[in-house]
Amino acid sequence: MRAVILDGIVLGLAFGLLGVGMTLVYGLGGVINLAYGQIVVLAAIVISLRMEDGWATVQAALVGVLAAAGVAVLLDQTLMRAVYRQHGEERTLMGLLLTLGAAFVIGGLLTWRYPAGALYINVTGEPVSILGVPMAVGSVWASVIALAVAAVLLLFFGGTTFGRGVRSVIQDETGARLVGISPSFVRTVIFALSGALAGIVAITQSMSGPLTVNAGFELTTFALIVTVVGGLGSVAGAFLAGVLLGVVNSLSAHYIGQYITTIILLGAAALTILIRPRGLLGR
Amino acid sequence: MATTRSRPRFGAVVSGRVGWALLPIVATAAILAVLPSVWFGDSPYTTSLAVQALAFAAYGVGFNLIFGSTNQLFLCVGALAGVGGYGAAILTDETSLPMAAGVAVGTASAAIVGGLLSWIAVRRSLGVIFTGIVTLVFSLAFANLLLGQRDLTGAETGLVVTGAPARIGDDQVGGYYLFAGILVGFLVVFRVLQLSHVGWAFRALRDDEVAAELAGVDVSRYRIYAATLGSAMIGLTGALLAYSAGFISPTTYSFDRVDVRVLVLVAFGGLGTLLGPVIGAGVFAVLDEQLTASLELREVLYGVFVIAIFLGFRHGVVHAFVALSRRIARGWGGRPVEPDPPQDSRPEPPPVSG
Repeated sequence: MRAVILDGIVLGLAFGLLGVGMTLVYGLGGVINLAYGQIVVLAAIVISLRMEDGWATVQAALVGVLAAAGVAVLLDQTLMRAVYRQHGEERTLMGLLLTLGAAFVIGGLLTWRYPAGALYINVTGEPVSILGVPMAVGSVWASVIALAVAAVLLLFFGGTTFGRGVRSVIQDETGARLVGISPSFVRTVIFALSGALAGIVAITQSMSGPLTVNAGFELTTFALIVTVVGGLGSVAGAFLAGVLLGVVNSLSAHYIGQYITTIILLGAAALTILIRPRGLLGR
Repeated sequence: MATTRSRPRFGAVVSGRVGWALLPIVATAAILAVLPSVWFGDSPYTTSLAVQALAFAAYGVGFNLIFGSTNQLFLCVGALAGVGGYGAAILTDETSLPMAAGVAVGTASAAIVGGLLSWIAVRRSLGVIFTGIVTLVFSLAFANLLLGQRDLTGAETGLVVTGAPARIGDDQVGGYYLFAGILVGFLVVFRVLQLSHVGWAFRALRDDEVAAELAGVDVSRYRIYAATLGSAMIGLTGALLAYSAGFISPTTYSFDRVDVRVLVLVAFGGLGTLLGPVIGAGVFAVLDEQLTASLELREVLYGVFVIAIFLGFRHGVVHAFVALSRRIARGWGGRPVEPDPPQDSRPEPPPVSG
């Protein structure tokens, strides 16, 4: 039982890390970035290519994170310009469709060029014992990275002037404009941050198993579920929702069966929308 | 044009008279009727491509009724078609009922599921986006259910569907005419709805939901009607496709094979227009044929298309064509009505410091 819950928490932290990049962009401009999973895959492919060239893992990972952030900024500077000209629901819908198109372009190009591309970062070492449960080193590292990212993000949004500026745009775009904050600049920075987070997701996901070139759609789906359950634009919400869903996932996988588990997760997301559309920690 | 000002404007591809309103359907039916003999009559391969295109056009009309007319983003076209297809296949598999019974049950189950989804969305007053997410979640759950219920659905291996006469196979001219027939039927239903008071309600609630409600339009009821009817169309198509192909598997109705395509082709043709789905399905069938070499590059091209459509001509080719012909009809006199200028063209304030 303890092992199952611990497993769930590890998985949940990965979910949370996956969701946080999407939830920030969603909360900030009302755009659901459906190309998110494909950006993760892009980072994974870049890292694996660097590693094949004999680069050290850390340097390769850094390049991958930068590449993902770069692609995100590119999206922001091109497609998102048109999206942000719209308002309200029209904006969300247009963002949804344009990023869906971007997802096809990125995913299609990657599978075309690297049909067998995959990233697996093998972390060697003895299993670490946590609360008497032996855990694989890879998942421990992934969890530590996820927790560190959560801490940095919470400090950034809670403690820095720029972070508070971002939150002001999330709360009220017009109000932020009135006090001299440029929403478009803030959005570009957050898009870059979201891309970098996608790069980190690529690293942590590939520590526990290979991340293949066609995983994009599945990653986007899970990120979307975490985003919806956690609440728009809430960093803490994303991690809370991630851990909850992770624990539910491993409990039901252990006691009920694997295929029902996915349906239970999807059901949880649907129920959240129906009962509390703002999500767990949404405004 | 002057006389039509005071009387109702019918439909999106507008003409003042009811007879004229049916003209595009008659023309479509005529083209579809002669197509086999002038083009591909003897090639089973081309026939099966045409049947696919017709099925997608039919899905498109159903989706158009739900999303184009009443603004409910149903990202579960594949799942609804699957409810129809698997419902029909499992019924004829488990019992010895004839094909007609299977089709009827499949269609009815899809209609009920679609109606229920719409009822939930309306009751919880979900916006476009949340309706989209809930129906997307339903799609994924349905796909998982198909994989999980191995005994009933055969999971990835699929299900052989028996009970259909051989002449409606999807590489037979009979199959072609079957799908051409239901497509024309759907178009007639769509047009009749547009012409009736229902069409008025649809347009009113699409333009401004609150205003429509104030004007006495029961928005919730019309939404559920549209979703039920549209889902029935999708379910019927899915069920017939199961019998016609003789084999179904989860990929037949998967999200990335059906929904994405339907969305792209309806958007390309023109959301909410009568012939949009037909034109979109036709264009994409030809495009697919040209791009058989690489599946991945086809995906890239789809992406480019989606982006171009929504950045460039957002209202689809039908609207572009209508606008152009109006301009010609006006003899190039007077300025044509331009779309709204970008709402946010003011320069942004300087970036935040510190």
